[in-house]
Amino acid sequence: MSSLLALLFPPSTTRNMELSADVLIILASAAIIFYLTRWHRWKYLWREWLTTVDHKKIGIMYLIAAVTMLFRGGTDALLLRAQLAVPNNHLLGPLHYDEIFTTHGTIMIFFMAMPLIFAMFNIAIPLMIGSRDVAFPRLNAISFWLFAFAAFLFNISFVIGGSPNAGWTAYPPLTELAFNPGVGQNYYLMALVVTGLGTTATGINFLVTILRMRAPGMTLMRMPMFAWTTLVTSVLILFAFPPLTVAMVLTLFDRLFGTAFFTIGRGGMPMMYVNLFWLFGHPEVYILVLPSFGIFSEVVATFSRKKLFGYSTMVYSVLAITFLSYGTWVHHFFTMGAGAAVNVFFGLSTILIAIPTGIKIFNWIFTMWNGRIKMTVAMMWALAFIPTFVVGGATGVMLGAVPGDYQFHNSYFLIAHFHNVIIGGTVFGLMSGVYYWWPKVTGRLLNERQGKWAFWLFFLGFWLTFMPQYALGFMGMTRRMYTYSHGFGWSSLNLISTIGAFVMGAGFVVMVYNFVWSQIHGEIDVTGDPWNGRTLEWSTPSPAPEYNFARIPVVTDRDAWWAMKQEQKTNVVQIKPQEITDIELPKSSGIPFLMGLSFFVFSVGMVFSWWWIAGAGFLGFVVCMLVGTFDYDDHKEVPRQEIQNTESAFGRLQG
Amino acid sequence: MFNNGDNKRHKVIAISPNGPTGNGDEVEARFLAPHFESDGFPWLQIFGYVGSLLLTIAALLAVVDHILPAFGLLVVILVLAVGQAALQLGIFMHLRESRGSTWHIVTLGLGIVIAIGLVGMSMWIMTFKSGVS
Repeated sequence: MSSLLALLFPPSTTRNMELSADVLIILASAAIIFYLTRWHRWKYLWREWLTTVDHKKIGIMYLIAAVTMLFRGGTDALLLRAQLAVPNNHLLGPLHYDEIFTTHGTIMIFFMAMPLIFAMFNIAIPLMIGSRDVAFPRLNAISFWLFAFAAFLFNISFVIGGSPNAGWTAYPPLTELAFNPGVGQNYYLMALVVTGLGTTATGINFLVTILRMRAPGMTLMRMPMFAWTTLVTSVLILFAFPPLTVAMVLTLFDRLFGTAFFTIGRGGMPMMYVNLFWLFGHPEVYILVLPSFGIFSEVVATFSRKKLFGYSTMVYSVLAITFLSYGTWVHHFFTMGAGAAVNVFFGLSTILIAIPTGIKIFNWIFTMWNGRIKMTVAMMWALAFIPTFVVGGATGVMLGAVPGDYQFHNSYFLIAHFHNVIIGGTVFGLMSGVYYWWPKVTGRLLNERQGKWAFWLFFLGFWLTFMPQYALGFMGMTRRMYTYSHGFGWSSLNLISTIGAFVMGAGFVVMVYNFVWSQIHGEIDVTGDPWNGRTLEWSTPSPAPEYNFARIPVVTDRDAWWAMKQEQKTNVVQIKPQEITDIELPKSSGIPFLMGLSFFVFSVGMVFSWWWIAGAGFLGFVVCMLVGTFDYDDHKEVPRQEIQNTESAFGRLQG
Repeated sequence: MFNNGDNKRHKVIAISPNGPTGNGDEVEARFLAPHFESDGFPWLQIFGYVGSLLLTIAALLAVVDHILPAFGLLVVILVLAVGQAALQLGIFMHLRESRGSTWHIVTLGLGIVIAIGLVGMSMWIMTFKSGVS
């Protein structure tokens, strides 16, 4: 019994900070359970959300999960910055600091950025391409629940069993059992394997959706830019995630079953882990940023009231970035010492990517040129992206130059660089997308004034946080050091950086307030087209009905909805009662949720080496597979009368 | 139980000869309600599944028991891997069920180029080991 307690609650989970987190978690869970029970919401929750296969609802769940994870990852970030605010600080000990930067990085990449991207895919893509759902709706729900349970698994590590502490890259020998006993690292490995499965399925799903379910007439070169970037992101996912899964599983084998793939003491090759990780890791940064490029293309065109400048060069640039991104991964470990020829090759291929990216930047600027620019919050995030990303890209080229990299690597210069591109590219883009598409799924517009406050706080906080870090890197401050002494001259820059981080935190709080306030008091979007949009999603009412389109639109042009408006043909979205037919839609199912739960049980068993629990989880998975496979009752008909009522309520009935 | 060919559950609407009508039915007919033409017990799929498992176990046992010196082992597991890839492509990846082979050739070609590129470049990167050790 006491050994079990020691396993579940090692010393790293019984520090004051963790114990107070325990109290908060218990209180919050109790409050949620009380609310659901008191207001009889359990059935509603199960029926409308946990079992849904509707892409719009799945998108909303991804969005909520991502914002929650942004809170967790952001809290980690503030703890790190608080520790570094002054020299010789002892708010966090060295091990505690290691744990927090590990969870900060892992959560921000895998459990914040990725789900927020999938939220955008789910919310926008089927509506944009004139489809009623994704190609595999139930698989879409499975992807979500695998992600959600993996995120849950990863997040309980710091209160039960101990947090992982080997950095988000988890290099051996830091992850070797001999040097890293305890279960923390197992949590990391299992969570990434499970969420990686979900991500791969999402990649397949959106690849097939975009290739095969576009509305009639929408050729590839008539697709909205966001559909293009989603398409190539899906391809990137398909090639990038298998190496990650392999690296994770082999590390897990080393830790659990005594193999020696990466265990150097027994002839293993840790450098191969580094190679595999970045085989995934480099395409991953393009997985993170390409969807944002797509969002900017939509937002900039819409709010400049102009068609996207250089559409076809945009497409070719995206394809070039996709292809080149597979030949650059060594720039994450130039200093491993792979030799001059290897480093020169990968250095040049890295710098080459700046060319198609630069083309895209100019295309956005030319799209705005002579446009009638409307300064909405979505547009402000897009505008803020351009200078921010240019700085991040330029420092990336500096890091891509091999001799320079030998000086900058592993310093705060690197930290500043990748936050500059990931926040400036991915996060700004996703925020732009959230403000842009929010009315389409919720039916209410986000308050612009609050949104601008959130934007300015976050944007200024960002510059304040990361610009000093470039200088700190030049001054010799290395990443992952938990404290520093007075004499280095780093103190004032670190203090400025910490102040910036808290300003960003304030921006986040205002943004969440904005979301909640707007959901209660926000302006209702009655037209379905609040921005005078260009693409098909704005031809539907807000929020879009379950079946999306009563009649699938026929596309004759790029920017299909804009073309319909120009040709005064917007009445095509209105349907005559006699033209309405029954619509077949996928039916809700509990299988995806239960499958996620099975994976969670299996993972807990693997983390703690409790094989019977792992076996039970695996059994649950097999049962879910069998039941799902032979479940032919997976469709439902929405009767014409119901569609007629819905359309008439939206005022979209002809005659 | 294995009534895969049953079309009655899903409405299948033929595509209008005059091109898309805009009712979206052609999309549904093909993709929201796919049906695979196959009758009877899926022997082929069972064979593919069991065959894949056997090939995997054979590879594992060959390595665990060191049945051959290192080079021989590499050859054996490579042959087993290629065999398994062929089995999976042929049976589960719908390689034989296409309306046209263009897409298959393009995507398989791209996949092979990238896979060989990644493996080849990884080997090139890892040659540093002979240089430093």
